[in-house]
Amino acid sequence: MAKSTSTSKLGRLDAKRAGSGIARYYQLYELLSNALRDGTIPPGRALPSEPALVAQHKISRTTVRRALDRLESEKRIVRLRGSGTFAREVQDAKKLCLDLHSFYEHVPTTAARTSVAVLKDKPELRSAAVRELERQLGESPIVIQKLRKHNGTPYQLCATYVSEAIGRRIRRGRAGQVSTVALLDHLGIETVRAEHTMTAVAADSAASKALEVPLGTPLLRTRVVFSDASSAVQAVYESLSRPDHFNVRAELERKGSQRSQTGWRLKGTSASSHRR
Amino acid sequence: MTKRTQARTGIARYQQVYTVLSQALAEGTIAAGEALPSEPTLVRRYGVSRTTVRRALARLASEGSIVRRRGSGTFAREVSQRSPNNRRLTRVLDDLQRLDETTVSTVLEFVRVPTPEFLRRETPEFGETVLLVRRLRSVNEVPVILATSYVPGRLAPLLNKVRLRKTTILVTLDKLGHSAATAEQQTTAVAAEPYVARNLKCPVGAPLLNVRMLTRDQHGHALDYTSVMYRPDSYELRTRIERPTRTRLTRLRRSH
Repeated sequence: MAKSTSTSKLGRLDAKRAGSGIARYYQLYELLSNALRDGTIPPGRALPSEPALVAQHKISRTTVRRALDRLESEKRIVRLRGSGTFAREVQDAKKLCLDLHSFYEHVPTTAARTSVAVLKDKPELRSAAVRELERQLGESPIVIQKLRKHNGTPYQLCATYVSEAIGRRIRRGRAGQVSTVALLDHLGIETVRAEHTMTAVAADSAASKALEVPLGTPLLRTRVVFSDASSAVQAVYESLSRPDHFNVRAELERKGSQRSQTGWRLKGTSASSHRR
Repeated sequence: MTKRTQARTGIARYQQVYTVLSQALAEGTIAAGEALPSEPTLVRRYGVSRTTVRRALARLASEGSIVRRRGSGTFAREVSQRSPNNRRLTRVLDDLQRLDETTVSTVLEFVRVPTPEFLRRETPEFGETVLLVRRLRSVNEVPVILATSYVPGRLAPLLNKVRLRKTTILVTLDKLGHSAATAEQQTTAVAAEPYVARNLKCPVGAPLLNVRMLTRDQHGHALDYTSVMYRPDSYELRTRIERPTRTRLTRLRRSH
């Protein structure tokens, strides 16, 4: 059996982050993820065993498994029955992606791997759809426009629209650090639904300048409408991404019975795809 | 002045300007009845010549998307006066199959080919040869979807060209006992290549929504790899995601 990585090498979960709105499993995931990335656990080496992680971090086995499940779904580890969990060779790390099937868990990771600049300018031109959504946010909604970079390359131009009341409670520094979901969570605004609409658009003059691509370059546009339990729209997010650096993934499974002819749903969710 | 419009993309500049303006009109960024920016403004904004701007505007005018009034400017026309393919249909994640059942499909290609390199690399189990099926779907005679599928050699004998006009690869395989259980889907944006542009009747280089899906049965065996090109003016992909309770905010709201 291969030598496994000692748990003491990996550091501890940050106690201060308890109650911070960041799940325990996510904290462990991050710890292991960093260890895999920086080579503390090199490819082929065994990860600490599940019981060792449970004992070291004083967390449940379920929490440990959830963190491992996620690394496995990202194809960064492989679990071999009877012999343990091993680090895999890292594959094509240059392209970022958003995992729709783990959207709520995933968004903070992408945010952590990229650098963000909060732009002073508001988007000048908005589509009719965005103008309509903005109206649902009340009088004079606030827009936070960001440019995300990965290894120095701008890959995503995004704008988050929130009501004036919410906008005034957001500190500029914080807006740059975290995702829209985390930002709202922090303010105690719980969004329970995210409606994604994806399409392809041609880079207009503002996008081509910010993303450093020629005018008319195809970009992936994702619009997300976040709503709370009473179906009130709390935030609207729109991003334009360079497809050479970013795409969107989804793991799907068949809806309902095996024999059903219709439809897919996102893996691990109850009712995720929605018809209009 | 900026050289951003330069044809590194292999696309003529007037075509780039046309694509961007046509999108702004389709999405209501420039609302019906509203004036377009003046020619000098467009020249500055896109860093192109006046001739290029005029050529792009001429094309929009010939399609009926804008109207030029001598002495007062260029205006966006009411959507109802535009050609029908400028209106959007919207579809969702799981609609491809339903769409397959409700639209007309033309089988463009149905042929055994050596497995393409990307597929060989990513999913070796497709084998040495695959069945390539290329289909075009139209709604009200407007082509909206071009789908390219690869089926592993071992399953190819189960399919025939005539059947695929009426039904999908997955439905056919399902009836024969090869049911799809899971799929990995990737969504991206691509520029229309000449072959695709010709079939979807869109300009070369126009942005297209591209969804690639690898489908497997319950044992994890690959059934089909399909790459679908959608015209974004007629299709957008919608997904509603309910937040899992476990990641929800656990703290009590401080303000209450």
